[in-house]
Amino acid sequence: MKKKMITVLAAVLLAGCGGKKEQGTSAAQSSVESGLLRGAVLCDITTMDVAETTDDYLIPMNIFERLFETRPDGEESKIENSLCKSYTVSEDGKTYDFEILGDVVFSNGNPLTASDVKYSFERLLTKGRQNTDIPLEVVGGEDLMNGKAESLAGFEVKDDTHFSVTLTAPNAGFIAELSSPCMSIVDEESTKNAGGFGKNPAEMIGSGPYTVKEWVSNDHYTLEYNPRYHGAEPSVKKVIMKVIPDAGTMNLMFQNGEIDLIDLGSLDSAVVESAYRTAWKDHIVSRPKVGLYFLAFNENNSYFKDVKVRQAIARAINVDDMITGIYNGDAKRENGIIPSGVLGYNKDLEPFAYDPSAAKKMLEEAGYKDGEIQFEFSMDSTMSSSQQLIYQSIARDLAAVGIKADIQTYDHTTWIDRRLGGKTDCYVGKWIMDYNDPANIMITFFGGESKANSRALNYPNIEIMDRVAKAPAILDEGQRIAEYQALEKQIVKEDAAWVPLVSELHLYCFGNRVKSFTPQWAGFGDFYVTDVVLG
Amino acid sequence: MKQIVQRLLQAVLVLFGVALLLFIMVRVIPGNPVAMMMGDHADPAAIERISHELGLDRPIHEQFFIYLRNVLRLDFGTSITLGRPVADLMTAAFPNTLKLAVCAAVFAWVTGIFCGIISAAYSNSFIDHLFMGISLLGLSMPVFLIAMVLQYVFAYHLHILPISGTDSWKSFILPAIALGWNCAGSVARLMRSSLLEVMEEDYIDTAYAKGRSHAGVLIFHALRNAFLPVVTMMAVQFSALISGAVITETVFSINGIGRLAAAAINGRDIPLLQGTVLFSTLAAVLGNLLADWLYLLLDPRITEAI
Repeated sequence: MKKKMITVLAAVLLAGCGGKKEQGTSAAQSSVESGLLRGAVLCDITTMDVAETTDDYLIPMNIFERLFETRPDGEESKIENSLCKSYTVSEDGKTYDFEILGDVVFSNGNPLTASDVKYSFERLLTKGRQNTDIPLEVVGGEDLMNGKAESLAGFEVKDDTHFSVTLTAPNAGFIAELSSPCMSIVDEESTKNAGGFGKNPAEMIGSGPYTVKEWVSNDHYTLEYNPRYHGAEPSVKKVIMKVIPDAGTMNLMFQNGEIDLIDLGSLDSAVVESAYRTAWKDHIVSRPKVGLYFLAFNENNSYFKDVKVRQAIARAINVDDMITGIYNGDAKRENGIIPSGVLGYNKDLEPFAYDPSAAKKMLEEAGYKDGEIQFEFSMDSTMSSSQQLIYQSIARDLAAVGIKADIQTYDHTTWIDRRLGGKTDCYVGKWIMDYNDPANIMITFFGGESKANSRALNYPNIEIMDRVAKAPAILDEGQRIAEYQALEKQIVKEDAAWVPLVSELHLYCFGNRVKSFTPQWAGFGDFYVTDVVLG
Repeated sequence: MKQIVQRLLQAVLVLFGVALLLFIMVRVIPGNPVAMMMGDHADPAAIERISHELGLDRPIHEQFFIYLRNVLRLDFGTSITLGRPVADLMTAAFPNTLKLAVCAAVFAWVTGIFCGIISAAYSNSFIDHLFMGISLLGLSMPVFLIAMVLQYVFAYHLHILPISGTDSWKSFILPAIALGWNCAGSVARLMRSSLLEVMEEDYIDTAYAKGRSHAGVLIFHALRNAFLPVVTMMAVQFSALISGAVITETVFSINGIGRLAAAAINGRDIPLLQGTVLFSTLAAVLGNLLADWLYLLLDPRITEAI
């Protein structure tokens, strides 16, 4: 209620003053040093160490480099060499030989060598908790993580610029995985000696375009241009990201010229409509979030065991109505598990057509009376306002076919606990791709029993999950994609275990000091500062 | 001396009781803090491994004694959500909360006492109704609303004060008013009613009989006694202010104890929650001790009672 009041008030106040005013006239704007970018985030980061996070990527993305980077390519994306100069793959698809750039130095002056790359792989397994999946694919990864080995057996350093990586099984998506922010390359010497890596800015030594100058917890962090960076000098020389926990305050700060770039996803859609859509429309940039919202069924639930119930529900949901009603058109319908914009997206996969009469008929034929099916529709209290509206929209659609979806809200911790424990009947989930390969989403949700169960899906089709787990080993790209698409069709259409809903557009607005901005390829809130050009 | 020792012992007991209750409560409510910490990519095996590393799989009594021993060493553990030692986080946040609390208290008390005295002196007049109307507004307006209006008028429109932050003393003016507004309303109303009550006492008639003016009687005879309940309220208010103001600190982006507490609750961050709640308890206990001491100063007659 309070949040709604704030939203309405903010919208009214800003609409009342005509929305945009000249940022340049405010005192906050006139005294800004040149080359400075001022941004804001709702929550502080917890760490700068990629071994310890799957979310806080803004600093790692900008202070470290990776072997490859995924970059936007129009509506699509492409993988580009970054530290990697060239590579070859063995015929069996298991061994990769890499050559890296020879003239790269870290911000402390140490040269970046193949040994640093090996250390960065090993560190994710020995020091980290969160991003072990990718280095675990390398031969000896399991042993290193469990303390049975001292180094990664499958990683051979040949000289300063050459190394090879041998995987336990072929994985055609390996190069895409290496572009994930978690595969950042750190300086072996300084990181080994660091006492507070991830917390202490002075110890964050990378080869990227920026260094961390300071991080005042819960207040702000500052990045500065790394003069030793081997790439082109960026337009932004310094970045101050303030922690502004209140979206209304963040909005006022942008309007007042106190911040140069705002993530409109942080604001309520009513404020975006009233204060940005018209007055700031030329300053809005967008990028489809490469990911999707989906409806997840727990097939342990007595009703959801029945495929006819799941298919009827898929037919009863009006996704187009969500796109216009909730997103004002800033979203698009998804049709499967692999989201649009990702390698392997199947544009020919037809989603279930919205047909409430057919859905009702299916339920009757399956022997369910009107109002008989009831379930708990579990919601996380920290979900975005649009995600909460999706819940309401689905509950309304299901009520129209005689199904009662009882929305229950849980605090974030309880919700995660319930989902991991398989206690949720049904929920609306969201996934944003970490890297551009279908394995990322297919394996996460359907790569095996434990994975599907930890998402509270309890999908019983073991044969399909075995095939999902084995798909990365198919070396022929065409065959691999065909396999993913066949599996996707089985899960979404035949089994109706997953109802694809929508993918959103991520909107940003830049202020008068910024000339252009290109968001990250997958529409992350985190971005490359080099993609901001000041005016 | 005996009373002081007794009071301090009581305070220690209260702190121990709160620590124990809190420890039990955060462990019986549903939700796994490790799952929360690890986010969307967590798998059950990793959650189990981290729980073991953090000692969350040990028997609960063992966890409590470890916790108690660490608290006595001022080691509250490491925040799960912010990833830093709780003591460091609270040390960094406390100066901001203290500055905000002092500014808000000064605003609230000066305004509240002044309005209360004027209202009592001119009771049932236009000015009394005006001040009491404003104080009622202060009591009934939610903090976030006051904060938004202040930001909009003074920062966004007039550009005379910052919208948020803690960069200079100016940054604390708007949050202090937003936070102190409600306290000012309470103080004004209590000051007025207390003064009017004292003015009914017999010794006030004696003062008038001695030829004192209305203002003289009010200030030199009635005010001191009328202050007693107001002082109690002020001490309680200050201990509440010092415990952190969640909404004000959030809206004005002030890194204070209140925001830490909110982050701890939202993230089921057990170490941070225990640290901030223990701190608030300490503030409340000290606030009450302060009120007792001020009572003694203002009215030596109640020494025995204490």
